[in-house]
Amino acid sequence: MAVAIAAARVWRQSRILGQAALLLLLRRPGARGLAISHPHRQQEQQFSSLDDKPQFPGASAEFIDKLEFIQPNVISGIPIYRVMDRQGQIINPSEDPHLPKEKVLKFYKSMTLLNTMDRILYESQRQGRISFYMTNYGEEGTHVGSAAALDNTDLVFGQYREAGVLMYRDYPLELFMAQCYGNVSDLGKGRQMPVHYGCKERHFVTISSPLATQIPQAVGAAYAAKRANANRVVICYFGEGAASEGDAHAGFNFAATLECPIIFFCRNNGYAISTPTSEQYRGDGIAARGPGYGILSIRVDGNDVFAVYNATKEARRRAVAENQPFLIEAMTYRIGHHSTSDDSSAYRSVDEVNYWDKQDHPISRLRHYLLSQGWWDEEQEKAWRKQSRKKVMEAFEQAERKPKPNPNLLFSDVYQEMPSQLRKQQESLARHLQTYGEHYPLEHFDK
Amino acid sequence: MAAVGSAASWLFRLRAAGAEGHWRRLCGAGLARGFLHPAATGKDAAQRRQVAHFTFQPDPEPREYGQTQKMNLFQSITSALDNSLAKDPTAVIFGEDVAFGGVFRCTVGLRDKYGKDRVFNTPLCEQGIVGFGIGIAVTGATAIAEIQFADYIFPAFDQIVNEAAKYRYRSGDLFNCGSLTIRSPWGCVGHGALYHSQSPEAFFAHCPGIKVVIPRSPFQAKGLLLSCIEDKNPCIFFEPKILYRAAVEQVPVEPYNIPLSQAEVIQEGRDVTLVAWGTQVHVIREVASMAKEKLGVSCEIIDLRTIIPWDVDTVCKSVIKTGRLLISHEAPLTGGFASEISSTIQEECFLNLEAPISRVCGYDTPFPHIFEPFYIPDKWKCYDALRKMINY
Repeated sequence: MAVAIAAARVWRQSRILGQAALLLLLRRPGARGLAISHPHRQQEQQFSSLDDKPQFPGASAEFIDKLEFIQPNVISGIPIYRVMDRQGQIINPSEDPHLPKEKVLKFYKSMTLLNTMDRILYESQRQGRISFYMTNYGEEGTHVGSAAALDNTDLVFGQYREAGVLMYRDYPLELFMAQCYGNVSDLGKGRQMPVHYGCKERHFVTISSPLATQIPQAVGAAYAAKRANANRVVICYFGEGAASEGDAHAGFNFAATLECPIIFFCRNNGYAISTPTSEQYRGDGIAARGPGYGILSIRVDGNDVFAVYNATKEARRRAVAENQPFLIEAMTYRIGHHSTSDDSSAYRSVDEVNYWDKQDHPISRLRHYLLSQGWWDEEQEKAWRKQSRKKVMEAFEQAERKPKPNPNLLFSDVYQEMPSQLRKQQESLARHLQTYGEHYPLEHFDK
Repeated sequence: MAAVGSAASWLFRLRAAGAEGHWRRLCGAGLARGFLHPAATGKDAAQRRQVAHFTFQPDPEPREYGQTQKMNLFQSITSALDNSLAKDPTAVIFGEDVAFGGVFRCTVGLRDKYGKDRVFNTPLCEQGIVGFGIGIAVTGATAIAEIQFADYIFPAFDQIVNEAAKYRYRSGDLFNCGSLTIRSPWGCVGHGALYHSQSPEAFFAHCPGIKVVIPRSPFQAKGLLLSCIEDKNPCIFFEPKILYRAAVEQVPVEPYNIPLSQAEVIQEGRDVTLVAWGTQVHVIREVASMAKEKLGVSCEIIDLRTIIPWDVDTVCKSVIKTGRLLISHEAPLTGGFASEISSTIQEECFLNLEAPISRVCGYDTPFPHIFEPFYIPDKWKCYDALRKMINY
């Protein structure tokens, strides 16, 4: 007995235990064979090497004695949640969100207005009126379905193909155009390329070109929202290509470990410029990565606006209630070119594009739904097309006519206050323009 | 049973005696003696590691900020962080290993005092740390991020340069991350080699939109760090790690601010201007005494303190007076920040210069380990450059 206790003490200190002593201790009743009274000793029991469970701090798992590699399941991946079929009919009535008519009409009008604006602005770039544009063709459902499921004050971090979120939040056409034209009404003061929208009032953080940089930022914002007990969620949009960036990995891992109320919304549209998904990843898309980080994940049909809505709604509810991240991978298709600098016929067939445009488009699917509900008809469609086109054209013509901002705005906002050296540079440009101003397009700029 | 008993008691004695005792017993038993204690031959063959290349010179006790306390550099940082978290309920501190107090003890006690939601570890990912910090700051909360060594800041370079620095400008001032401060240990430490010794301020000097600040002492550090945290622009605060313990002086307990973008003339002089920042300020202080003693030369010493936006006017004013400028930093010569200072000063003060501007810097190599004593711009190299300038 004395030897057993001495042996136990030695074992505690040096973890070396001979076979004989092991048997000795096992003979006592109770699984661990040690007196349980002392709390210190009780804690040590968790580290007992007597029962054969793994003790590694790094994983909570059982032992296995069969050598087997886990097969990544890419033949049949995570299933795709949908509510409507391709003809806009509800498949499972219990999944129908039963949204009121006004709301669904708002979905439809937001998507179609965006589509109309895209057509006109794409064309305006072709005509040399704006320098660059990116369309959202085919992905309108991902924007509107998700935006509709959020509160208006939920903070949005986007990549660059989420204009429908702003459209749903009633960002005026005038301001979309102002940013694309870089005119005097642009809240961004003409500093960025077209489609780099931002709106403080509508809680849409200004877009930046580097991909995926917004992902860890969104996580930080969500952490701050949690600390502030704001009952707000942050949503972070990105494409399947951006999900390859290190920042995406960083963001997912931080969100999970720091328990942030964030929705990661991946638009998997099949292409990153010309790079198809088969060259972007080898696993089961982006949704399959979520569980690797400990994140609840789902894959949805991104062209089904109700599926997107339902998933985002539930993710929002739980993210805020439980302070944990959610990952939604919305499968969709990029019908347009990557941008006005791209001609996608160089890397994909017109047939492929036409299939999506004609057979599986979020706008037509919703239109079928509206028609079958009796909430829309051909006449309203014609009228709305005319009206939306008129609205866009008016905003467009106005934007064209406005001057650009004063060139002094080249120098402000680098810091909150202008450093003296920068002020000197500003003055040097002013002096330069006094002499050489004729060589600069000053007539287009605000005085 | 008996065998177990004796084995157990042997282990017990061994453990009780501790590791050192174990080694001593082995030595005493004649085992591995030669291995453990190489025979001393003549002068002390076990080469001692170099003493520091500088002597920290504390500043006089500050009187204007109330009660002071003796603090070393890391304690002055802790004090600044403590003050910040006390004043600003939104402020949070995060990074690798900050929860237990940090690898340099800068955050000791703060988690216990302010809670685990305010002082917390992040996963090991610098781009994540800075990106996350930007996001916190975008909501208006105060984010104090730690990058464990300045040598590891590069994964976060994109987030700093492309995002943090440009947030306000690109959004037309709709959004900003001004309440972000990144702190990071910086500079040579005697044995840090390539990846624990770097001074990367020059990479960031080229990036409008951020501020880069480097203190020379505990008193300076606390005031400058508090200014960085309160500044409405994203700031990088580099902390000379070799000073964490070596620099001790009286530091006010209450918060106070030292302004950014203001260089400090810490000693006035007539004949030559010496400019440095961080640890190197103490090197050039000593060089100034050497110059006085051996050459009768009177040096004006400037601690730049803020790298960008830097205080051109103070340096110009000094060079106009002295006509000679020597700039010294540990970072490599080519593209180092001395080149920016040199270029600007020759533009602004060309006719005042009596000699070419001298830069005494690290060599254009990665920071070496065993060769550190040869690499660093020590007082002899600075003195020699100064002497040549005087005799030009």
